[in-house]
Amino acid sequence: MSASIQNPHFLLRRLHSLLGLAPVGAFLVFHLWENSQSRFGAVHYNEEVVGALQGLNYLLLIELFVIALPLLFHAGYGLLIIRDGRAEPQRYGYLRNWLYWLQRISGLALILFLLLHVGLTRIAGLFDPAISANLFGHMQQALSQPLIFALYLIGVLLAVFHLANGLATAAIVWGLTSSAEAQRRFGWFCAGFGLLLAALGVHGLIGFLILPTAGVTT
Amino acid sequence: MQAETQSDALPIDEPVTVAAGGPDVLLAGEREACATADRINSSVELRIRRQDYPTSAPYWQSFRLKARPGANIVSLLMDLREHCVTANGEPVDPVAFEHNCMEEVCGACAMLINGMPRPACSALIADLETPIRLEPLPKFPVVRDLMVDRSQLFDNLKRVKAWLRIDGAWDNHERAPRVSPQDWAAQYLFSRCMSCGCCLAACPEFDLGKAFVGPASLAQVRLMNAQPTGRYDKAERLHAIMGDGGLSDCGNAQNCVRVCPKEIPLTSAIGELGRQTTLQALKDLFGGG
Repeated sequence: MSASIQNPHFLLRRLHSLLGLAPVGAFLVFHLWENSQSRFGAVHYNEEVVGALQGLNYLLLIELFVIALPLLFHAGYGLLIIRDGRAEPQRYGYLRNWLYWLQRISGLALILFLLLHVGLTRIAGLFDPAISANLFGHMQQALSQPLIFALYLIGVLLAVFHLANGLATAAIVWGLTSSAEAQRRFGWFCAGFGLLLAALGVHGLIGFLILPTAGVTT
Repeated sequence: MQAETQSDALPIDEPVTVAAGGPDVLLAGEREACATADRINSSVELRIRRQDYPTSAPYWQSFRLKARPGANIVSLLMDLREHCVTANGEPVDPVAFEHNCMEEVCGACAMLINGMPRPACSALIADLETPIRLEPLPKFPVVRDLMVDRSQLFDNLKRVKAWLRIDGAWDNHERAPRVSPQDWAAQYLFSRCMSCGCCLAACPEFDLGKAFVGPASLAQVRLMNAQPTGRYDKAERLHAIMGDGGLSDCGNAQNCVRVCPKEIPLTSAIGELGRQTTLQALKDLFGGG
């Protein structure tokens, strides 16, 4: 009988849970916060937000090891987890079962959305330096198309849901919330956190489309 | 006992007459049951998903029969067994089903009733929507009709070491260990598990051919780990549920706790085991007891 740290199953599951919170979840919060500054206009966004990040030392390593690889593991292992479940939300219409089902649907949808999103921005930027130089203009152009805006809106909301619900279930997995009462209470906390984060994210999307107020451009 | 037998034989439409020496309480209860049986017209339609043998294809059959006062699904199936004729008048083989205690403590009669997993003995006809749909408990191999093979449940209890080692190297002749009333009250909830399998039927992660042990076995780990004698093997049980098909396979859909007929706090057990396994992993990683 050998399990626990000798058994990769337990460690992989916990790693999947941990990486979903940090760095992937933490990056989502940071990313939405950064992009919520879109409403301050092109100059501020391109120089203070994007420019500052582009000037970071070891940026490529950070992108690779803090964002890309953890995200790839979380998504890949998540697909394996999804393969095993069968939710039946119609038969068992309880809230937690719907959330279980939505967590899996949103995970699948997010993989597709992130392919589009990363392709449109980071990967496109590799081939066309003009995109990285004026990301604001690039995003403004993209989001002014109703289809792209709708896809981004759905993508942001699904990502926020996936994180907020993942936070609530991770608390059960790690044993932070053990009683049903604590799980319910923390569930509402996560719902509040998700609503705030969703507001921040949608605000950032709309920020690309509204004209900056005069004098707030720096 | 005699009074019960007599009143069982009474036609439903006739008022219950007081049997000599019969206890009044029982008769009052029966009068009430008569009223509910009248309300549902005492004739019910049953739709049963049948299967002749483990590998044959399932098929549906409809039956129409009279429900006795206070009848439940098991008693109705017993009545059906006597004259097993379909709604079309075709005589068929009796419907195979399991039952035992008739008071929701043995777990043998669990099945899908109107699509939900529950023990058939505590499912009163008067409370059910008609036609009543009966299906074998899902996630388990069908033996015949409503009878399933639930040996997986016992295998899973063995996999998580849900037992107490009472023969050990220590002195076994000491007095029974003391348990605080608070601990006793918490542990009692988990001791009510009757291995009916309803939680497993509703669990999206539990299925035939999959490794997950399911909530019922996990709750027994929670119980045994807290038991004064059982706690000596806590680390072994935690290691068992930290392996393939263990606690980590839970997806937190929490259907288990909603369908459990004994209202066992299964999701609390899973949360508590989450904490215990986290601490156990830290001990395994960094040492310490």
